[in-house]
Amino acid sequence: MIELHHIWKQYQKPYWALSDVTLQINDGDFYFITGPSGSGKTTLLKTIFREILPTEGQILVNGVNILKIRDNRIYTLRRTMGIVFQDFRLMFHRTVFENVAVPLQVIGVGRKEIRRRVFNTLQKVNLHQKMWELPGRLSYGEQQRVAIARAVINDPEIILADEPTGNLDPELAFEIITLFKEINRQGATVIIGSHDRELIRHFGDNILFLQKGKIVGKEAH
Amino acid sequence: MIEKLKFFLSVTGNNLWQFRTRNIFSVTIICLSFLTVGIFMSLANNLRATARELSRNMTVAFYLDKGLSAAAVEAVRQEIGQPGFVESVRVVTPDEALERFRASFPELADIVSGLETNPFPTSIEMRVNARASASQEVVELVDAMKARQGITDVLFNQDWVEKMQGFSRLAGAVGAFLGGILILTSFFIISNVVKLNVFARKNEIEILRFVGGTNLFIRIPFWLEGITLGLLGSLLSLGLLFVVINLFPVYLSASLGALQELLRFRYPDLTQSIALLCGGAATGFIGSATSVSKFLKV
Repeated sequence: MIELHHIWKQYQKPYWALSDVTLQINDGDFYFITGPSGSGKTTLLKTIFREILPTEGQILVNGVNILKIRDNRIYTLRRTMGIVFQDFRLMFHRTVFENVAVPLQVIGVGRKEIRRRVFNTLQKVNLHQKMWELPGRLSYGEQQRVAIARAVINDPEIILADEPTGNLDPELAFEIITLFKEINRQGATVIIGSHDRELIRHFGDNILFLQKGKIVGKEAH
Repeated sequence: MIEKLKFFLSVTGNNLWQFRTRNIFSVTIICLSFLTVGIFMSLANNLRATARELSRNMTVAFYLDKGLSAAAVEAVRQEIGQPGFVESVRVVTPDEALERFRASFPELADIVSGLETNPFPTSIEMRVNARASASQEVVELVDAMKARQGITDVLFNQDWVEKMQGFSRLAGAVGAFLGGILILTSFFIISNVVKLNVFARKNEIEILRFVGGTNLFIRIPFWLEGITLGLLGSLLSLGLLFVVINLFPVYLSASLGALQELLRFRYPDLTQSIALLCGGAATGFIGSATSVSKFLKV
């Protein structure tokens, strides 16, 4: 469970990127955070994986106050999360296999086990046949699927995706969110920051509306 | 653990290859720096060896008064032979000295043939062991004997030994100074090359952070990269040093005349070679570690 209590974030005075955001996301939720550009979607996601610290407030992930984790222990939090970005953040000089294997290499998983898990995960995103390609040779949709495969290979409890369909056409965007939905069905909590109304309307179970850093609405279906 | 090590090695290898142009540049600079240190080290090795050789052959000649009786000569000989550092003491008779002169300077043999009396006095030759050569205790003995009755003159080639030792120290110091400057340059170059690599791999570093890579995990490949560059540079310098040592006598030493004995290079010994390699690795490691801790905020 993720709990945000009265989160405030200010990058520059007098503007608040987040103003008194209080939110509870339960295990297994499929959550959309939406709002116009500059509404604080990315800032909110970044505070959850502790890329940035809020100016005020408290964030609990599974009961642990993540703001009290020492800087050199943040990796313990990050290993429980999978993160997906709009720009994919892939290593373009490494193969699809190597990109997806990184989270396993970080925790010292053996080579055979890495091969098995990477293959299985790429099969799930239908990219197992392009395992040895360089990401630069793949389409945007495929690149995003590589990024998703990397995010889920460790079976994380939480998936955070910041505008994962921002660079994709509607058809591919639909395909990617369907993939997230599938991951969510398998038990992971999925939080997606997006401003794509069509997708949100179609997939949104829980929707949080942000505007100028404030929560202006919530919907739960 | 082994898997992680394999991962680090493969990342390091990939990175070295990916940025090969700038890496070749830094290896070249490290190589030239350590080659300079190596050349002066070999020169110092030779001068030290020459000084040792001179010391081993160092003879002090005490020239005695012509009127000294055989008993008095024996007394002086025993006195000179007393200290522990004296290896041997030998009396050289005037006839023997004359023979030596003739043998050493055949072109001057006529001059002495015309003399009615042998001009050479009896002398005592003292050899000291290598450890004591040119040491203060030898100088003290020589000074004491100079003042002794019956001894007219003392010939002591201590100056040469001291000069050789001085040259050897000078060559070592010049090598350390020039090498030090160049190694410092290498250090900054490695540091900057690693800095460029850190910037070029910002995206990758960020990915590693997001997937839960520890600080150590992210830094190790950069450290390995620095160590590899340093090690390659110093290894190459060692190879070049052997080439220089082999080629130098062929191309240069003939024109040096009498100086060629002094300016000869001697191969670095195993300890020195290992020290050069370790120096390269250490320079690489410190250069990259400085850069990583400064520019890699994880």
